[in-house]
Amino acid sequence: MPLYGSLDITQSPARLPTLANLDTEAWTLPKAEMMQLLIEVPRTTTEALLPKAMHPALPSYVILAVTKYPESPVGPFNLAVLRLGSRAGVHPRGFLLGAVASSSAAAEALRTRWGFPIDVGEVKFVRRHDRIIGTAKKDGKTILDCALVDPQPVAGNDVQYINWVTAANAPLDGQTQPMLIQVDPKYTFYKSERGKPQVSAFDAAAWHAPNVTLADPIIGTCCTVDTDLPRIRFVMDPLKPVFQGTRRIRESRADE
Amino acid sequence: MKFGLFYEISIPRPWTPEKERTVYNNCLEQVKLADELGFDHVWAVEHHFLEEYSHCSAPELFLTACAVLTKRIQVGHGIVVCVPEFNHPIKIAERTATLDLLSGGRLHVGTGRSATWTELGGFGANPDTTKKSWDEFVRCLPKMWMQETFSYQGEFWSMPERTILPKPYQKPHPPMWVAVTSPGTEIDAADRGLGSLGLSFAGFEEQEKKIKEYRRRIQNCEPVGAFINEQVATTNFLFCHEDEKTGVEMGKKLGNTFNYLATQLISTREVYSSPSYQSLGLLPALRRAATGPDANEQQTEGMAYGDPARIIRAVKKWESLGVDCINFILNANEVVPQDQVMASLRLFAKEVMPHFAKKPGHVAAAAGE
Repeated sequence: MPLYGSLDITQSPARLPTLANLDTEAWTLPKAEMMQLLIEVPRTTTEALLPKAMHPALPSYVILAVTKYPESPVGPFNLAVLRLGSRAGVHPRGFLLGAVASSSAAAEALRTRWGFPIDVGEVKFVRRHDRIIGTAKKDGKTILDCALVDPQPVAGNDVQYINWVTAANAPLDGQTQPMLIQVDPKYTFYKSERGKPQVSAFDAAAWHAPNVTLADPIIGTCCTVDTDLPRIRFVMDPLKPVFQGTRRIRESRADE
Repeated sequence: MKFGLFYEISIPRPWTPEKERTVYNNCLEQVKLADELGFDHVWAVEHHFLEEYSHCSAPELFLTACAVLTKRIQVGHGIVVCVPEFNHPIKIAERTATLDLLSGGRLHVGTGRSATWTELGGFGANPDTTKKSWDEFVRCLPKMWMQETFSYQGEFWSMPERTILPKPYQKPHPPMWVAVTSPGTEIDAADRGLGSLGLSFAGFEEQEKKIKEYRRRIQNCEPVGAFINEQVATTNFLFCHEDEKTGVEMGKKLGNTFNYLATQLISTREVYSSPSYQSLGLLPALRRAATGPDANEQQTEGMAYGDPARIIRAVKKWESLGVDCINFILNANEVVPQDQVMASLRLFAKEVMPHFAKKPGHVAAAAGE
């Protein structure tokens, strides 16, 4: 049967973000500009990064995303993330390995409300006609310099974004414990472009993915979307297969 | 109604030479029995890199073995991936003609374009152009089979005038099909006069809609070949047992296992934004159908498992919707022991098949069978 990840997040709970509760209120994030680059990576470099409850995608790939959020409850901010393409049960998911936010308020909220493994740094999103550029710096050091080269328009329904999974400590059944959290934003597309991914700097260790080497680019997209960070609906036992260890926290939204 | 076997050849980890050989031998043993029992077709897919889900990357070799071991059953090479990075069209024409000769004119040729990034990316193929290259290939193949000499200048491949050899045994050429998974491909099939080789496990309502549209459009088609192959085949799981509960339980296990194996594979749309892959294709449908390898919920209606009476009801329903042929998946990851697969085939042939008279299958029957 499908392979599983080998990461046991219960062995190092102190390294995980901690949520005060699972009652996180949703954020509305209008007119976000999201650049997302998908790149294949060697499978041997990702096995140890994926929780035991999840399956890897075959071939292994990562998603590098740099997003400009012009409006949010904590003001405008930029966000860079690294996600690992994977599966929660039968569902495609991006397991969040690392993140950098351009504002400390945003970083604090994302860490404590949705379980982002996030630092504060300098994140830039620059749109030019020949390319869209994303950069991230931590402690003054560039940890990501990437671009979507030669963006060409595509339809919004040509683009698929998969949901995210984070690992965090959170209270459940009267006990704060490590768990996996599904983060499933919605998207309304206004503008979509597609182009070639290009990465000129990537510090894998700074993204908590020390052995990952970027191999074969797949494709890049950049979309202007109304999106959100929703209330938490599902959490998963980090050690049991997801189809056995998923708990529904609240009902789905009316539009689902 | 015709009945066939459909092979993905899924093999569980850990893979050893002996295990892979055993599974292949099990499949051949099933085909030999199916031939004796009166099954009509054996189909084998072309898939690459799909771990556990399908180790059937050289179906022409497997089907050659099937042809040699059998006398009557027809061999379906399907689908051949009609994307130049996977298969050169000259090689497709040559090896299908050879297989048709070796099988004594028992070949059907299924065509398609691949739905996974796992495969397309592995071959460095451009997902944006697979529909177009498929279209070129299916228009060239009949000419390559029938014309004494052939030359071609196309977008995806070209060749100077040569004689492509050998020529197929069947005249004018073997029946052609296209894999139908994405919505709308049944229209592609109908417009070109190709058989509709349904690979999804959709329920009655969705299939009925597709079949109606296919039948309507094919009346005004421009066939790519020398004849119209108006046939609708669908795929199903088969486990037939005297005891309904036992049959249903094993059938569910088979279906859930097969569907769950699709979990790790990457559908093209998941990673590659392209107007050519607007539909998610077969994999997400399989995933939706699966909640886990041991799931007790099932699934799509119309599955051919249970006792003979239950299976007869399901097949009658498919027949009433206009399905001409049902191709059965017999195993996945060897979750059904081989002796039970063989017993299931025997019971199906004895108790179910007699309820379904053979239809003279449209144009293809005259031309290709």
